[in-house]
Amino acid sequence: MNDRSRRDFLKLAAAGAAGAALVPAIGRAAGKTVTMLHESSFIPPFDEYMKTTLAQAYEKETGVRIVYETTSGGSLPTRVSTIAETGSGADITMNIILMPFLFADKFLDVSDIAEATGKKEGGWYDAGREAAVVDGKWKAMPFSNIGQLMNWRTDWFAEVGVKKFPETWEELYEVGKKLKAKDHPFGFELGHGFGDNHGWLYPLLWSYGAHEVEADGKTVAIDADETARAVDFARKFFKDTMLEDVLGWTDPSNNKAWMSEQISCTNNAESILWFAKREFPEIGKVTDQAQNPAGPKGRFHVLNAVSHSIFNFSPVKEEAVAFLAWLMDPKQLGGWYGIADSYYQPLLHGYDDAPMWQVEPRNIPYRDSLANAHIVGWPAPPNRQLAESVAKYVIVDMFAKACAGAPTKEVIKNAEAQLKEIYRAV
Amino acid sequence: MSIHSLPLTATARLPRRALSLSGWLDRESVFSWLMMALPLLFLAALVGYPLVYGILLSLEDRPVAEPGHFVGLKNFITDFHDPIFWRVAVNTFVYTIVATLLKMVGGLGLALAMNQDFRMKNLVRAVLLLPFIVPTVLSTVAWMWMLDPAFSVVNRILIGLGMPRPGPSWLGNPVLAMISIIVINTWRGLPFYGITLLAGLQTVPPELYEAATIDGASGWQRFRFVTLPLLKPIILIVTLFSVIFTFADFQLVYVLTHGGPQNATNLFATYAFDIGMGAGQLGLGASVALMMLPALALLIVALTLYMRRA
Repeated sequence: MNDRSRRDFLKLAAAGAAGAALVPAIGRAAGKTVTMLHESSFIPPFDEYMKTTLAQAYEKETGVRIVYETTSGGSLPTRVSTIAETGSGADITMNIILMPFLFADKFLDVSDIAEATGKKEGGWYDAGREAAVVDGKWKAMPFSNIGQLMNWRTDWFAEVGVKKFPETWEELYEVGKKLKAKDHPFGFELGHGFGDNHGWLYPLLWSYGAHEVEADGKTVAIDADETARAVDFARKFFKDTMLEDVLGWTDPSNNKAWMSEQISCTNNAESILWFAKREFPEIGKVTDQAQNPAGPKGRFHVLNAVSHSIFNFSPVKEEAVAFLAWLMDPKQLGGWYGIADSYYQPLLHGYDDAPMWQVEPRNIPYRDSLANAHIVGWPAPPNRQLAESVAKYVIVDMFAKACAGAPTKEVIKNAEAQLKEIYRAV
Repeated sequence: MSIHSLPLTATARLPRRALSLSGWLDRESVFSWLMMALPLLFLAALVGYPLVYGILLSLEDRPVAEPGHFVGLKNFITDFHDPIFWRVAVNTFVYTIVATLLKMVGGLGLALAMNQDFRMKNLVRAVLLLPFIVPTVLSTVAWMWMLDPAFSVVNRILIGLGMPRPGPSWLGNPVLAMISIIVINTWRGLPFYGITLLAGLQTVPPELYEAATIDGASGWQRFRFVTLPLLKPIILIVTLFSVIFTFADFQLVYVLTHGGPQNATNLFATYAFDIGMGAGQLGLGASVALMMLPALALLIVALTLYMRRA
């Protein structure tokens, strides 16, 4: 089914003239150009390294040209939808979060090279499998996690006598109350962003022993005492430690608040430290990171996995597979990880003690957080229904409404009704 | 020359003229259709095809990158069971009605002010167009800063007047967030109203005002009985356009709040995008987007009928 004749290739090229125009036609026809689509990295040297070092090295070695095309942050799913629909536009794509599951039918099975890479590099983290294996097949090659951790101001925490980041949510709440009284509130996103709301709300829910849907992927389980306890905690956490504005925040908001010294603690990816160190060195010095606090049922993190998939309609599938296998070799991969400090956290145990972790020891909790990181919606397997629940902000708004004053029972009942409607057809 | 020769010549020439290409093209019925052909083709390709495709999509269960299958009106039934859908519908109507009214009144005021003679009139008129010219995404980012509690000009003033810090949360409070997006939309759309109505004002013959003044009409009476009736057709057309643009607004909300907080600013377009592109449910997303159609169609028909009658 994956074998494409010359006729098919011509059909594809004709159908996707716009997409194909992005790639030099001659190179593509000769089967020597592989286009890789990536979301622009928050760490600019990361993209530069691929363009100027890796792509050129690969072309020198094999004669195959790599076109590394970037798309703006947030637009990747839309671009990939277009490519999947039209059957043209790129050969390899970067995936974020649910994409390997949503586009599984259009992605090549890369189990061979993924298993081989795992064997060679000390084995995959469970999180790596969770991010890329769909119905027993590797539909993507895991690349990294872009973890979400607690970012905290060491100087202001010290003002209230806290030198080490609190271990539990309740302890963090007590510290937050004191800091808000000193005009250093917390700022955790409760609005319709994409990453920074899920980054703490799902782990909070899990750490109280709650989840939205059972592992069977169809039984809605949100209406539980554990959920109520998590919601009650979120309400008081919001009311006593945060700014009201967080209810309307999107993803850039907490970064802006951090750099303008409005907040003393938030949940974000490593980019906040990376940016502060370079643009606001004084703030960078007093920024630290810690794993999420534990709840009554343990400590959890969200898995924001990045992976790479090959479109099964690509006319240069073999070249794309070869390139992906080459890229996963430590010689290449180590350099690519290294250039971004540890913003991208490897999902292979072979990198657990890699030199990249020594560049910024404050990032080490990202590595440790992989042990209990899960995709949103866990323990249910990612599927269309989960994507709908995420797009409708069911869990985020359940918490946000409670924080804005709605009763716990009501917000849980509403969320349950929405989830039942979404999962009705399963 | 015999008396019969003329008609003979004429009948002999007629078929030749009919057959010649230029003669055929000269015919009004042919020429007018030829002139219309290109725009019609454009309309069919860029409006007709997407619309028909959208309608077909809305009748399918069509996950992204998977083949779809016909489900009839199931997607619409799902929408009717979805509480967010109803919230989105109410939001869209409130947003459109309030913003359009504000733009209409403000735009008329702006046009009347701009119609006066004053120094640097042309420069001021050009500057007033800026909100309309600046790309929406850019101006929205500027507003994002202005509405940030720490940097907000408005909050600074309010705090200066004695309000406790940090002042109102413009985007965190559901009611204030809706007010904020309405204000920004009004700010952005006002020049469109203003300039179009100004063009209309300048077509009003000065003699009418002179006659009214001689008849003893006051300033208000001149506006009420001369300006307003003559501007009415233009006001209706601008309102029609404005309602369509506002009802289907996407960029402002997508950049500023993404529909938050708790869907307080979610509109049809942003919600349809989230379901279609975010969740990959192209059929369901299309059904949400299509729900804009009946309301807009009714409004367009009503306004068109009203204009014809007027």
